[in-house]
Amino acid sequence: MKPLANAISAITASVGASALNIAETIGGASLLLARIIRALFPPRVDSDEVWRNLYNVGVKSYPIVVMTALFVGAIMVIQTAFYVQKTGATGLIGYGVGFSVFAEIGPILIGLMFSGRVGANNTAELGTMVVTEQVDALRALAIDPLPYLVVPRFLAMMGMLTLLMVLGDLFAIVGAALTAQLLVDLHWRVLLADLLQSHLLDEFTMGIVKAACFGVSISCISCYFGLSVRGGATGVGRAVNNSVVSNATAIFVIDFAVGYLYSL
Amino acid sequence: MSDAPIIVCRGVGKRYGRQWVLRDVDLEVRPGELLGIIGPGGHGKSVLLRLMAGLVQADEGSVTVRGKDLAVVDNFELAAVRREFGYLFQNYALFDFMNVADNVAFPLRQEGGIPEEDIAVRVRARLEQVGLGHALDRFPNQLSGGMKKRVGMARATIATPRIVLYDDPSAGLDPVTSSKIFLLVKTMHHSEPGVASVVVSHDIDRMKVICDRYVMIYEGRVLFNGPESAIAEADPLVGQFFFGAVAAKTLRP
Repeated sequence: MKPLANAISAITASVGASALNIAETIGGASLLLARIIRALFPPRVDSDEVWRNLYNVGVKSYPIVVMTALFVGAIMVIQTAFYVQKTGATGLIGYGVGFSVFAEIGPILIGLMFSGRVGANNTAELGTMVVTEQVDALRALAIDPLPYLVVPRFLAMMGMLTLLMVLGDLFAIVGAALTAQLLVDLHWRVLLADLLQSHLLDEFTMGIVKAACFGVSISCISCYFGLSVRGGATGVGRAVNNSVVSNATAIFVIDFAVGYLYSL
Repeated sequence: MSDAPIIVCRGVGKRYGRQWVLRDVDLEVRPGELLGIIGPGGHGKSVLLRLMAGLVQADEGSVTVRGKDLAVVDNFELAAVRREFGYLFQNYALFDFMNVADNVAFPLRQEGGIPEEDIAVRVRARLEQVGLGHALDRFPNQLSGGMKKRVGMARATIATPRIVLYDDPSAGLDPVTSSKIFLLVKTMHHSEPGVASVVVSHDIDRMKVICDRYVMIYEGRVLFNGPESAIAEADPLVGQFFFGAVAAKTLRP
């Protein structure tokens, strides 16, 4: 019986440790969000840092967002075309593409790409600043790292991911139209007309709201892991890994929550 | 040297987990003096420096700067205290997204109210003083270790702080560059009257050239506090460390 008891004890300890880690991450990121919001009223932000982050986060991310969106639109046309052509309901292809791209697949895939590029980079950058004492140097110069480092990243990620989602929706339609015209033998005007007649404003706004929420979670989680780095280069690697996993998980949870709230 | 102490540590202790890295540390730093903190690596010298700057909090005892206890001041008061400090970090801690000129200008820009033209003039003058007038546009990854130290010194002293803390300024540098860096510390110290400088190092030969007084930290405690002339009466370990084990008159078995 003793080996069984030991095994149960080990499993319980492991589950408990994981639960504590998750609670610590959620708690740490939530506290960081609260401190960010407090720092915004009244605003205590370095404008140079905001512009630098807007460029790094937004301008440098748009190629990957455009590429993702083009393929998302194209894939949705290919996937729906088979059934639409089989039933002859070509009028549904625009609705199918628009609904899935605006509300679900677009936000999730663009959010994941953004988290992989920007979130991981942000954790690595802040983590490296911690281990090379640059964050301590800020504090030694009487500068609070929160308004100087974190708040500009928060504003940039939330604002830019929202704008990138609008751009992504546009390019997803372009990708869908090109694929419909070139590969599915459906005139692009038919697809666009169907899309416009489908009244997908709710789905579009849902995608934008999701993007803004993803921006908040990616910035808080990646900054939290970056500023919590301990233990040199190994610690930075571990923090980036944790940041990517946590961000991906948060994206799916937020996607579910926002989708559920819209369905009420 | 008769002025009231600018930094006072009383019974200071600091621990990480269950491990005490500093215990019962008493020391004072006075305006105008150049204090050397010596001792073997890993015995708490850098932690003591971080406590003085309020970068970490003491777990026992108190650290006061100009009479303000760093454990009880609020964030605004702590920021005001920190503005009195210049800090040279062991690993330079230069902002790698800024060039040399922007790194050195950073404390002045954060002060606010100083015209950009004045900042540019002061930055150029300070960088020329440390021999880097030619490197304004370079980024930290384009500099050697000695150059990074000199940029760090320029940044630490550009805003004319009243207290300058140097954490192991010769770490990782060759002997010639180390000597130059220590001479720069001396020059910086004497360039403004009344400035208190604290240098942490185990490079005794170079410390002897510049320091007025020494504090030796051994196993987290103050083993010696006084000028070089008082070492003969101190614990034999101090002599061993200061003059080298072979030259020391009294060796601990």
